[in-house]
Amino acid sequence: MKNLNIWVGVFTLAFAGFVFWQALSFEYYSNIGPGPGLFPIWLSGMLIVLSLFFIVNAFKSDKIYFSDVFPKGKQRSKIIRILASIVLFILISPYAGFTIAGIVVLFILFFGEMKWYKAIGTSVITTLIIFLVFKSFLGVPLPVNAFGW
Amino acid sequence: MDSLGFLLSGFETALTWQNLVFCLVGVTVGMLVGVLPGLGPSAGTAVLIPLTFALEPISAIVMLSGIYYGAMYGGTITSVLINTPGEASSVITCLDGHPMAKQGRAGTALGISAIGSFIGGTFSILGLVLVGPPLANMALKFGPPEFFALMLLGMTMVIGLIGKSIIKGMMAAVFGLILALVGLDPVTGIPRFAFGQPYLMDGFDFVVIAMGLFGLSEILISAEQNLKAEKPPKVKGLLPSREEWMPSLKSIGRGTGLGFLIGLIPGTNSVIPPILSYSLEKKIAKDPSRFGKGAIEGVAGPETANNSFCGGALIPLFTLGIPSSPTIAILLGAFIMHGLTPGPTLFKENPDFVWGVIASMFIGNLILLIMNLPMAGLWAKVTMIPFKLLFPIILMVLIAGTYTINNSLWDVGAMLVFGLIGYIFKKVDIPIAPIVLTFVLGALMENSLMQSLTIFEGDFFALFKRPLSGTLLVLSIVILLLSLIAGFRKKKDFLASDIDM
Repeated sequence: MKNLNIWVGVFTLAFAGFVFWQALSFEYYSNIGPGPGLFPIWLSGMLIVLSLFFIVNAFKSDKIYFSDVFPKGKQRSKIIRILASIVLFILISPYAGFTIAGIVVLFILFFGEMKWYKAIGTSVITTLIIFLVFKSFLGVPLPVNAFGW
Repeated sequence: MDSLGFLLSGFETALTWQNLVFCLVGVTVGMLVGVLPGLGPSAGTAVLIPLTFALEPISAIVMLSGIYYGAMYGGTITSVLINTPGEASSVITCLDGHPMAKQGRAGTALGISAIGSFIGGTFSILGLVLVGPPLANMALKFGPPEFFALMLLGMTMVIGLIGKSIIKGMMAAVFGLILALVGLDPVTGIPRFAFGQPYLMDGFDFVVIAMGLFGLSEILISAEQNLKAEKPPKVKGLLPSREEWMPSLKSIGRGTGLGFLIGLIPGTNSVIPPILSYSLEKKIAKDPSRFGKGAIEGVAGPETANNSFCGGALIPLFTLGIPSSPTIAILLGAFIMHGLTPGPTLFKENPDFVWGVIASMFIGNLILLIMNLPMAGLWAKVTMIPFKLLFPIILMVLIAGTYTINNSLWDVGAMLVFGLIGYIFKKVDIPIAPIVLTFVLGALMENSLMQSLTIFEGDFFALFKRPLSGTLLVLSIVILLLSLIAGFRKKKDFLASDIDM
């Protein structure tokens, strides 16, 4: 089960199957014309067939191994760090506000790439610039904490 | 008023100081996106859409389209100087541009590219001025069956041209269409696949999907590549020698025509014209062996062709409302976000807007010429910015931008999920571009199909009986069959990579 293609195929098949099952609950055709179920049923049906072809190919010839396409070591931890920092932003920004959440996220990403005090400085300045550009210059709101930043 | 009169009033709109500033910002960002490896024009445009929320529609589109054609200029610089294309359409420029730089003629290579790009860009926009209005008039007579067939043709072209396998391309296209189903059904208003969630009731936001699939997935892929900054060589002497002028200008002329024509075909992308132009130049050259060793025609032709493509590719968008490439699809999304409906009615109902944007492109190309000729050396320095410092900042803009779409962290989460999907799909060679293209077209396509089926009382095959829609549908089937055959013979390797433009 080290073949990534099989996993992707199974995922799309499951997704398509779910959409198909859901689409069956909509009317396919009514007396006034085609119903809301027609397009979804055909599309998900097509995706089911395509996914099956994809899975067959994945078993037969088109093998893509996890170890070949995903990075290891430092690169892998970088990817995980990026994803984790976005999750962290979603979790803390409603309370901490954009500025603090932004500084934390940027610090996580800069840390290790430069000296820690430079990382803090760069994170603070970058976040403030983005905050000011969005909030003052463009007039679009960002998540804020109880103090309004 | 004829086109020329409209164009003049367009210049009036484009020349207000406000629109000039946005044009300048747009083309500058475009240059940056082009120069910096690791961020393509689709991602660049998607990331910056939220910045335009508070702008007037015209300023917003002026800026976003500036990014689009500005990137074509920028990509050249890194191809020539450090043999790394800044974006996919400049890959071919490495072949002869970099050898020229090694011979100490980097300035000449950049100079002729800038001149060619300017000529190609300007002439193709002129083409848009001439061809656009009559084509839009014609398209006003199209009914739902014709539009459905046209969109299907565009889709099959994308599937046929991009990606390593037809199955993967089709999966991507159908996946995009399914994503577009979420939300209220356009015909009956019944919520579909919303599961009672208010977030899903309105469907996925286009910007969220584009930011995730293009923006985040590109950051992830680039982050693992360890892009290193290289010191570029010095740039001096921007003009070609006297005996090189004639052959260069001829290549530029051919590149202009070729790029423009390819731009008109839906489903093509900006990588194709430079490749075709390069092989054309090599074929008609007296001494083809010079190519690959610093032949100036090998730089002039392809660089012109990709810029000329840009103007051509805007024609299907402005007249039919059908995006021909992913970056154009993002522009289409921006149109809709700003309350404009691209398509045949655009020229009639929003002439100020259309002609203002077109006029701004003439101005933008001129700004780019100035930016590239005397300032080429300055841009070369930008390539020195290390990616590891850049990507956290881009990521932060991405997060902030996604949040501002609906002031919701739910969108940030959705962007994260789509980014992951894009990242994994890229790993298994499922192309991203068709997902975004079909997502934009999804609702339109369903609408036109439902209307057609209502007209024909449920008989799908009646679509084949109307002359135009029938022809387009048959053409789509032929293209699909041909690319299946080509796929079996593995003949499409040169177009195989997932190109995001």
